[in-house]
Amino acid sequence: MKKGYALTTGLILLALGSATALAEGPLLAANSAVAATRPAPKAGCIELKSVAETEQAYRDDNGQQAVRRIPAAKVVPGTQVIWTLSATNVCAAAADKVFIDNPVPDHMTLVVDSVRGAGADTSYSLDGKQFAAPEQLRVTEADGTTRPARADEYTHVRWAFRNSIGPGQLAAASFRATVR
Amino acid sequence: MKPHLRLGCLLAAIGMAPAAHAIGALAGAQIQNTAQVNYTVGGTSATANSNTVSLTVNEILDVIATLQSGDVPVVPGATNQVVVVRVTNTGNGSETFRLVLNSVLPGDDFDPTPSSPAIYFDNDVNGVVSPGDTPYAAGTNDPTLAPDAFVRLLVLNNIGTPLANGARGFTRLTAQSLTGTGSPGTVFAGQGTGSTDAVVGTTGAQSFAVGTYLVSDISVTANKTAVVTDTFGGSRPLPGATIAYQVIVTATGSGTATASVFSDAIPANTTYVPASLRLNGTAMTDATDADAGQFLTTPARVTVNLGNLTQAAGPQAIRFSVLIN
Repeated sequence: MKKGYALTTGLILLALGSATALAEGPLLAANSAVAATRPAPKAGCIELKSVAETEQAYRDDNGQQAVRRIPAAKVVPGTQVIWTLSATNVCAAAADKVFIDNPVPDHMTLVVDSVRGAGADTSYSLDGKQFAAPEQLRVTEADGTTRPARADEYTHVRWAFRNSIGPGQLAAASFRATVR
Repeated sequence: MKPHLRLGCLLAAIGMAPAAHAIGALAGAQIQNTAQVNYTVGGTSATANSNTVSLTVNEILDVIATLQSGDVPVVPGATNQVVVVRVTNTGNGSETFRLVLNSVLPGDDFDPTPSSPAIYFDNDVNGVVSPGDTPYAAGTNDPTLAPDAFVRLLVLNNIGTPLANGARGFTRLTAQSLTGTGSPGTVFAGQGTGSTDAVVGTTGAQSFAVGTYLVSDISVTANKTAVVTDTFGGSRPLPGATIAYQVIVTATGSGTATASVFSDAIPANTTYVPASLRLNGTAMTDATDADAGQFLTTPARVTVNLGNLTQAAGPQAIRFSVLIN
């Protein structure tokens, strides 16, 4: 059955009060020497890196149950993958109006409430073109009625960073998705 | 025997609790992700892509065996009694399954004896062994199933003797992934579809179904009495006297005597009294029609269709009369 997607309102980005949360992912130094250790910057000022990890249960040295992250390479249906994106400014000038778009990968479903990004307003899309806050995303059913879109129907996630990213600084974002 | 690597809990990642497969990511599929960043530096906007991360979907080994038949009623000494089992590949890759039958199980009253051969593919899906069905031989024709595909199997056992009514005998068919079984998360490196790793799913890559044979012996007895009434008010069997017969039919046991028919010949030198046939006090016509009873000729007899008789149905009283010639 074919479904139509629609936005109830027009394209509203950077909605005030959008949910944000602490960044989840590798430790981020607000002002680290990352840029210095990188090869000479290419054409762009922002280098974007994507990392996939899974969580693994293990017993720590005290025999206690603990969880750690390991790089993901092979997965099975049901595996939850943590995707972490880090944007590093490798130029001498600040970068403004930074936003990261990430499609929800094929064969995967976005995990509800898993999107994180310190200092960023998050929005979502059902088609990769129009992004909006969750409450503004609606799905049109075959019978013409509409209902709020579910997180597993989102096709893209966008993080719009409120502040500029200074030279050598790094902004991070993450989300979780489950292999279908 | 292929070597395999057991990493067990090492790879039992949290959140890796694969549910039964249903149109999910197939083994060998690639999951790729590239993010994009947009920004402005000094008034000039620019766009950059991230590295592309590629994940491979491993094969998950899962199987479900489900019983397709209820308790199978049997009589002592019966042979080739069928239990139907369906085996479904709930993993995400094509997989071959070994079938193992065990009829010596705890908790039942008797042990059925597997027939030889004991497992058939129910190719014509009719629930009984028929000419088109293929016997199963382990290692020879282990079924290979695509994801979500299933196969119907007939499990055959012989029933011993003597056995009491109501005795139960279990038979268990187990389907095991040929790649391997184990605790969920066990990894068989490189042995999955398309050289992926094969990972044991929540079912442990094996599943069984237990069928039950229920001894349902049934015996039907008929007890016939006669009352003679002569024309002189006595009870002597003289010509012209009437003999009123009563037959009590009783079913005893735990089973069902299906399509039971009572039939009784009219004795020589007597004549059936028309319209004298009764079942449990209800008159029946002599014609062969909607009611259960009828009078038939050549040879002269009365018959009553009693249908499916069980002990619970209670005794059935049939009455009819004849005239001594």
